[in-house]
Amino acid sequence: MDALEIFLGILSLDVFFIVFAGVLVGIFVGAIPGLNGAIGISLLLPLTFALEPQNGILLLGGIYMGGMYGGSITAILLNVPGDVVAAPAAMEGYPLTKQGRSKEALYYSIFSSMFGGFIGVVILILFTPPLAALALEFGPAEMFFISLSGLVVIGALTGSNIYKSLFAALFGLFIGMIGVSSVTATERFTLNMPQLREGIEVVPVVLGLFCLAEMFLNIGKKANETVQYEDQSIKRITVLRNIFKRKFLVLKSGVIGTCIGLLPGVGTTLAVFMSYGEAKRTSKKPEMFEKGNPEGIMASEAANNATVGSSMVPLLALGVPGSPTTAIIAGALIIHGIILGPDLFNTRPDVAYTFLFGMLLTVAAMAIIGAIGIKYFSYILKVNIMYIVPVVLVFALFGAYSLRNSMFDVLVAILIGVLGVVFKKIDVPLAPIIIGLVLGPLIETNLVRSMDIAEARQQPILQFMLSSPLSIGLLIMLVLMIIVVVRLRQRTG
Amino acid sequence: MKKFLRTTTALGLAAVVAAGCGDEAADEQTEGETDDAGDAEETDEGVDDVDDEDDEAEEDGSSYPEQDIDIIVPYSAGGGGDTVARILTDHLGDELDASFNVINQEGAGGEVGIQAMADADPDGYTLGVFGYPDNVVLENTVDTDFEYDSFEYLGAFDDVPHSLFVGPDSDFEDPDELVEYAEENPGEITVGESGALGLLKVLAFNDEADIEMSPINYDGGGELVNDLLGGHIDVASTSITSYDEITAEGGEPLGYAAEERIDMFDDVPTFEEQGYDLDLGVSRVLVAPDGIPEEVEAELSEALDAIGESEELQQAFEDANLPYRYLDNDEVDDVLEDRNENLQPIIEENADDF
Repeated sequence: MDALEIFLGILSLDVFFIVFAGVLVGIFVGAIPGLNGAIGISLLLPLTFALEPQNGILLLGGIYMGGMYGGSITAILLNVPGDVVAAPAAMEGYPLTKQGRSKEALYYSIFSSMFGGFIGVVILILFTPPLAALALEFGPAEMFFISLSGLVVIGALTGSNIYKSLFAALFGLFIGMIGVSSVTATERFTLNMPQLREGIEVVPVVLGLFCLAEMFLNIGKKANETVQYEDQSIKRITVLRNIFKRKFLVLKSGVIGTCIGLLPGVGTTLAVFMSYGEAKRTSKKPEMFEKGNPEGIMASEAANNATVGSSMVPLLALGVPGSPTTAIIAGALIIHGIILGPDLFNTRPDVAYTFLFGMLLTVAAMAIIGAIGIKYFSYILKVNIMYIVPVVLVFALFGAYSLRNSMFDVLVAILIGVLGVVFKKIDVPLAPIIIGLVLGPLIETNLVRSMDIAEARQQPILQFMLSSPLSIGLLIMLVLMIIVVVRLRQRTG
Repeated sequence: MKKFLRTTTALGLAAVVAAGCGDEAADEQTEGETDDAGDAEETDEGVDDVDDEDDEAEEDGSSYPEQDIDIIVPYSAGGGGDTVARILTDHLGDELDASFNVINQEGAGGEVGIQAMADADPDGYTLGVFGYPDNVVLENTVDTDFEYDSFEYLGAFDDVPHSLFVGPDSDFEDPDELVEYAEENPGEITVGESGALGLLKVLAFNDEADIEMSPINYDGGGELVNDLLGGHIDVASTSITSYDEITAEGGEPLGYAAEERIDMFDDVPTFEEQGYDLDLGVSRVLVAPDGIPEEVEAELSEALDAIGESEELQQAFEDANLPYRYLDNDEVDDVLEDRNENLQPIIEENADDF
């Protein structure tokens, strides 16, 4: 089968249908608080068994792409991010909604997602082999430094009170400590409950903090009390022009998303917040952040969709899945007898190339569905909040349950939701909690792993951790980031 | 009011679209679902008749299954255990003319889901698939409420030996060279491992060769392979099915822990033939909670035999890169009990390391 044939195969009706269906499902599961791309993919996994393998993987790829965007819709309109990666969209987009600029925020979100997604997929197509080689260079020491620099980003996030941010980060690190330590096998804060042994999952915490807390606060509010201004309409071209003015920001965020998205585990969350922090650093108006600065939306949205392409680099090049979502996609292909890895391009070029070029189609599908849908999405604002609260609550609790079919996770979400109300009342920022929770365990396991290897090789720990040029470079980056964050705080007062 | 109507229509449309996608999924997944419903009704009627004449039910065996069957998988979607469960339910569903729901209930290295299987109603409508010996390692190393006999083992479907791999630029070409180096430099060789069996393998090899290598813990196979290929660790203790992804980047297996070579990897030597007595691997089993009705067990065994000995199931496993080995209801008990006796001493000797 030659390249032309494969290319024509992509331009067929069923491929278009599959891509659009996948993206649409992705946008919906992404937008529904509690569900995300990974859950959508698990739900539709059985369907792919009946499809041709290249169509099956494209369907899942479409869900992945759409899901990454969908979370931003409810984030912007209701202050309820469907997923962690949409948290910055809520931080910047919801204030815009309150000013009656919801459509504008939604257009910034979809077009930045489109550019970011495009950058990620193009880099996937052009640079998979060298990027995969780069990903291999990241061992325990390198992962330790990069995760640590993610914590530093927290300093750049919230303006008002550094102690409250610090508390939030520590609280996140604390939740991340719960469970059996994979290193020493000691039980930490497990209260003899078997469910706590595996630790607290990120999803119920996100749902509790972002969805449940917001909904709890809405209970008893009068209809549409939150949105004081009439919703303004805006031309798409105006938004595109504004994005074009900040093209380097979008490009930079897309590249940050792509590079960080390569890393297993941390990928998406870190990429999103790093680009957001970077946008704030380079912004002419950093003081406008968290009050509705479109730059924050552009950066975080471009970054999260860029990770879709790059998290597939290790999968396609090495057969090593870089994120939970890509792991499920790999599983779906294995059932078809397709083993991912460098051989794929020789053994099944039809699957490999259909998938690569099909992912470009998912970006287009996302942009089309998003840009047309925005008119309809923003009708949500006209719905009386008393109808929204119960619906979101049900979906959020369902999402917490469906993660691993566990009532325990539902209880965790509710408990964290109540805490979230308290945090919101006393102005403790929520994003650092999630960053701490995601990065804490990574920092710990990679530090301990480094220590174990150093001990085995009888090297001092520092000598081991700085034994590669990459880790030295990352350490320098870490130091620079601390300096930048301190300066930024001085600048914003 | 008008606005509200418009909104609800929009939301309604959205819901219809979403539901439409979902339906499609369901439809294509089990095309015979509506037929199944019909059959279920028939069997319902059948049950009424059978109440009077128990004997007839067994002969005609039509009373089970009369509703959907849940299959608990104690791992996340996409992994090996999940793949086995999905292939199995696909074929078993056709054979029994029933619908299966795969439920991923991960957590605590499989403990949460395996416990849920043990606690389920033994009525034949909740079954489970897990990788033996996860249950045995768990019951011996943490305080679980289930034990080996909490389950009725209905069949086993694959046999995936555990293996040791070295990275692309390794100095070791066979286990002897590894052992020789480790003897001269105790503790210096780093072996990445993930999962209970990964650690067990390192400890068992240390015992067998009387050497000391340092286990380095990983949460999942992905990171482990990444760090082996990147040269951050010396050896990886993982299943032989990682063969393709590791060798494609220049890594090599030193051998695998099976009594004899298996067809799928017949050009890789076993540890046995290189002088190391090791037999350690994962075997995915279908289980029911202990105490399921005999006729249900008989019905399931019969269906399993029918698919288990067919070439289609074997092909499906091999396509999924899983070494197929079917053990029926009788064989599985013997084989697993044999394995238990092998495992017990290794686990006990190394209890402190878990």
